[in-house]
Amino acid sequence: MRPIRLPARQKSALSALVCSTLALSLSASAAPKKVSGYESLGVTAGKTGGGATLILGDSPQSLNYYGAIDNNLGLISQQLFDGLVEFNYATYKLEPALAESWTVSADGKTYTFKLRQGVKWSDGEPFTADDVVFTYEQIIENPEARAGDAATFTQNGKKVNFEAVDKNTVRVTLQKPTPAFLLQMRNFIMPKHKLIKFSVEGGAKAADLNNAWPTNVAPAEVVGTGPFKLNSYTAGQKVSLVRNPNSWKVDAKGTKLPYLDTLDFLIIRDPQAQVAQFLAGNVDQLNITGAQFPDLKQKEVAGAPFKVVRSTALFGSPPFVAFNFDAKDAALAKLFSNLKFRVAAQSALNRNRLIETVYNGLAGLPGHGVAPANKEFYVNTKGSLGSFDLAAAGAALDALGLKDTDGNGVRNLPGGKDLEISLTYGTDSSVYPAIATIIQNDFKAVGIKVNLQGILVKNLLSTGLSGNFEMILHAFGDQPDPELRRPIWQPGGALYYWHRSLQSATDGAAPNIAKMFPWEKEIYSIFETAAVTPDRAQRKALYTRWQLLFAHNLPVIPLLKPENIGAVSNKYGNYVYNLGVIPGYNPVPLIYQK
Amino acid sequence: MTTLAAPEAKSASTLSMAWRRYRKSRLGVLGGWVLAALYLTALFAGFLSPYSITTQHQGHEYQPPSRLHLVGKGGLSWPFVYGTRESRDPVTFARKSVDDPSVQLPVRLLVRGEPYRFFGLQSDLHLFGVPLAQGGSPQVFYFPFGTDQLGRDLLSRTLVGGQVSLTVGLIGVVISFAIGILMGGISGYYGGLTDTLIQRLIEVLLSFPRLPILLALSTLIPPRWPSTWVYLGIVAVLALIGWAGLARVLRGQVLTLRSLDYVSAAQAIGARDLRIILRHITPNLSSFLLVTATLALPGFVLGESALSFLGLGIKEPMTSWGLLLADARREGFQTLNLYPWLLLPGLFLVITILAFNFFGDALRDAADTQTRL
Amino acid sequence: MLSFILRRVLGMLPTLLVISAVCFLVIKLQPGSFTDQYLEDPRFTRETAAAISRQLGLDQPPVAQYFHWLGGVLTRFDFGYSFLQNRPVVTVIGELLGWTVFIALLTLLLSWVIAVPLGIYTAFNRHSASSQVIGVLGYLGLAIPDFLAALLIVAVVLRLGGTNVGGLFSPKYIDAPWSWARVLDLLNHLWIPVVAVGLEGVAGLMRQMRASMLDVLGQDYVRTARAKGAPQRRVIWRHAVRNAINPLISLAGLSLPTLISGTIIISIVLNLPTIGPLLYDSLVNKDQYMALTLLMFSAALLLLGNLLADIALAWADPRVRYS
Repeated sequence: MRPIRLPARQKSALSALVCSTLALSLSASAAPKKVSGYESLGVTAGKTGGGATLILGDSPQSLNYYGAIDNNLGLISQQLFDGLVEFNYATYKLEPALAESWTVSADGKTYTFKLRQGVKWSDGEPFTADDVVFTYEQIIENPEARAGDAATFTQNGKKVNFEAVDKNTVRVTLQKPTPAFLLQMRNFIMPKHKLIKFSVEGGAKAADLNNAWPTNVAPAEVVGTGPFKLNSYTAGQKVSLVRNPNSWKVDAKGTKLPYLDTLDFLIIRDPQAQVAQFLAGNVDQLNITGAQFPDLKQKEVAGAPFKVVRSTALFGSPPFVAFNFDAKDAALAKLFSNLKFRVAAQSALNRNRLIETVYNGLAGLPGHGVAPANKEFYVNTKGSLGSFDLAAAGAALDALGLKDTDGNGVRNLPGGKDLEISLTYGTDSSVYPAIATIIQNDFKAVGIKVNLQGILVKNLLSTGLSGNFEMILHAFGDQPDPELRRPIWQPGGALYYWHRSLQSATDGAAPNIAKMFPWEKEIYSIFETAAVTPDRAQRKALYTRWQLLFAHNLPVIPLLKPENIGAVSNKYGNYVYNLGVIPGYNPVPLIYQK
Repeated sequence: MTTLAAPEAKSASTLSMAWRRYRKSRLGVLGGWVLAALYLTALFAGFLSPYSITTQHQGHEYQPPSRLHLVGKGGLSWPFVYGTRESRDPVTFARKSVDDPSVQLPVRLLVRGEPYRFFGLQSDLHLFGVPLAQGGSPQVFYFPFGTDQLGRDLLSRTLVGGQVSLTVGLIGVVISFAIGILMGGISGYYGGLTDTLIQRLIEVLLSFPRLPILLALSTLIPPRWPSTWVYLGIVAVLALIGWAGLARVLRGQVLTLRSLDYVSAAQAIGARDLRIILRHITPNLSSFLLVTATLALPGFVLGESALSFLGLGIKEPMTSWGLLLADARREGFQTLNLYPWLLLPGLFLVITILAFNFFGDALRDAADTQTRL
Repeated sequence: MLSFILRRVLGMLPTLLVISAVCFLVIKLQPGSFTDQYLEDPRFTRETAAAISRQLGLDQPPVAQYFHWLGGVLTRFDFGYSFLQNRPVVTVIGELLGWTVFIALLTLLLSWVIAVPLGIYTAFNRHSASSQVIGVLGYLGLAIPDFLAALLIVAVVLRLGGTNVGGLFSPKYIDAPWSWARVLDLLNHLWIPVVAVGLEGVAGLMRQMRASMLDVLGQDYVRTARAKGAPQRRVIWRHAVRNAINPLISLAGLSLPTLISGTIIISIVLNLPTIGPLLYDSLVNKDQYMALTLLMFSAALLLLGNLLADIALAWADPRVRYS
């Protein structure tokens, strides 16, 4: 379960108030970005030099970030490239990156970005507005680019327009006010001078972009603005990066970032092999699960040269169970659509036992669509989680007319059939099989027979989207802004698969509002409104209402929120937990070797 | 009459000679007994296992194997177990299970416990166990192999898992031999075009790499099937790959036998072909088949464990040694350091494979009438 | 002999053709599509799925896809593109082929070096305690699933403070130029997979060697040689072993495909850059041309192995004639 999610597709969006306050206050000369103010995360002044080795879960499929949807490629790209904006490590607010400042027009439709001056690509070429325009128009808006994002940058059937006003200014013209647009500016900017020959502008076919920078490309071709640059790739074994001499970040004292001279990624597929390599000291950092915590912590306590660090970070995937409102079995579909049933089911879910048994206690109660660690948007919905109470669940099921009429220990549906539900879960995961088995056990106690249907984790979503399930155990990652999770939580969204009949037949068309439950209609319009509401307080109020509706109506039943746990070698300082690929959230440049 | 008795006497002596040769291999004999014991255990798994394989004993997760005590406060006594106190280390979050000598309960024989089915009969009689606690007093469990992550009794899971692992081999061998004998027999008996076609087919089948094609076929088993079907599907997949090698060898044997007098004689009196293959030719190969089957069995058992390791094998709530091992291995180093008892099913797997091999070797030596050293 | 080889090679072609068709069928029968794995990414829309399918030719009917691939293979020796890597299948395989062959040959060699002498020894000392111990150890190698064996070895190495717990090199040597230190580092890592996989094959080979040795010892010519009063050592090596090893040569040919399949699990567990995991990934992700090519490659290796074994057999055993 690798909970990495990228910014959501959006047709509209979010506030720009932050931005205008930041605007136009910086000088025009070469201006490195000062990365400071993270004392709360334990960040101190480091020293330059040394190197670290991290883990890559598999070989990258390409070295062209927009040529393949691939987490491992994302992890590398994050060190090689930057976006115009990025997240603050502590507050998750957007702050300047390659763009030094920006302004938004009064009608909310024109964004003007002032680019950081004096930034150079790792091969010494200057970084200019042309690169930004090229990246968006030729790559991201290219519908044939496999990892492009053409849908997000198409509004009212037209492509969002990017224009280089001068060498250091980019103007973006939207079709409609889109407050959340800034979140989309985290996309990595690519070098025009290296990629033009793969673009339509350079005379190639649209799909040729996918052929740029295959993994056997000469490392000097892969040019970026990020903290590191590519040094070499050994197929199936290692990706090796070195410090980008032209990087543009400095620490509080003005020391150039990154601190590290080299950054290596060892390719290790198997989680246990990863642990072995970490214990052997060949790898310096490891993200682990609650199940692995006791063993490693015992080693730390016994004097092993590493620390195991717990953090309640915002990102990460809280598992949930969803009932299919459109289940093939009509009786079940009707039952699942009944809120009373879902509430009864919730009281038969033993969250504390799941946290205790499956996560060794290293998890907390979940939010509803928003992580409890999200100070900006989270509203406390813990009261609606109810408590584990089999008697109450049984009584609620009795009240629904689901009684065991044939005395076989399983309740019967109105037609006389046993109340049997199949639960689809991932077998090749460290948590899903145990969670599924516990649910099966507790549901059995209230007279619901759960049949486990194990599939590979990678097939969970496609199974969900195909509608071919009754009850599913799955997880979606949390993001700083609910707008980024809109396809998941907005009824009718592309990933709102537990009520598939709401989805429109084609992308972008309006969903089937008539078939929505009243609360679904309300949630739907909340997302629609929030997307174009610039006022921050108003948006927060809207999303608060959504979370309460979610908690009360349970489109899905969230189970828990795992803590993020990382282990890091004692050789390093300034370690900030880093889940993986979150574009715009990369604390690796701060790490230094003691 | 005397003329009839002679061949019987001869065959008896062949058998007894084979028996003598078999007895010579001590490991083979041991293997035979171990196998007999294992299959009996699998047959009576429900009776032998103290608990149901799905019962989750909350508060007893990852409990190490309970120790059986003989010496109590009053000296020697009937075997008993202590109650346990579970806790969690505040720093490392590791589970700890400490014996609580204030609670002692004897392990009784033939106790009533959770119901299980045996050949369609419902029963709740278990060979041993700690009887259910009477009013108020804390329930004490006896977990000879400890428990897993969810507090399920590992001994019960191992025994019941053995049913799957041990029968995967048997059913698989039966299926693959049925196909193999038929195809090999037909191919060798008829010759000509039939032979060529079947040989081609065998060649193609043999050319498939084993594990990859197993992978490919097992991904074909619909994930929505109930676990029993998945089990059968896996057996079928294993068997479908397994028959070709056998058919090839059999064909050679049949080719030789076909020209023997009694086969010609049977043909002359107008016996049907299938009858000749099954009644006259196959019995002559029985010792060969028996040996080959014994030696093919471990392949099926290991094949099941490989599939389960890759997440494509047996699924919850069924269990098998392969699945139990894959679970243990998924926890990897934690298992070795914190919960080593989870590897016990592996011991069963290893012992089974060893037993099959020794038994098979001994059978082969016994059936081998030529070599005398 | 040349005409024999030529005939055999030509005879392989129809078999390979059938195999490729069956493999393609099996791959295509699996539910889902290549693009399923990307669904979770929000950048991935139905249009993207359609675009990718078009780019990859997946919008064509399966039969057309198959013949398109076959045409490429026959006319240009082009085995198609890997969907996952967006590179020609042959290049991707080529990158990993070296190590795959190296590791596989080494494990085969280890199995042989251990198994053949032990097989001979146990044939001569059928019921002795020592050969029973050897038997137990040999079968132990067979009985312990390789993923478990690897886990145990790695755990022991870790406990002893070693750092060679996976992969082929220590991180710093992975992209270093060849040197003695690098070779030593390689050997230091290599023994774990070689032992874990190699020991698995020992039991089978040993049993085969023992059986054919016993067969041969019962043959007339060995008895004759003994009766003639030839020295025991000579009888064993000149007459018995030389003949007993013949069936093993055929067996060696059959084990060529383990180059690919034998290392799937161990390569995942021990993180080796071999073809095994590639095959697993391509099957699970429906990277169809990659999977097809690898399956074909494996089948071709088997057929080739058979041929090589026959040639070697003819060379080792004058009674066998090319026919």
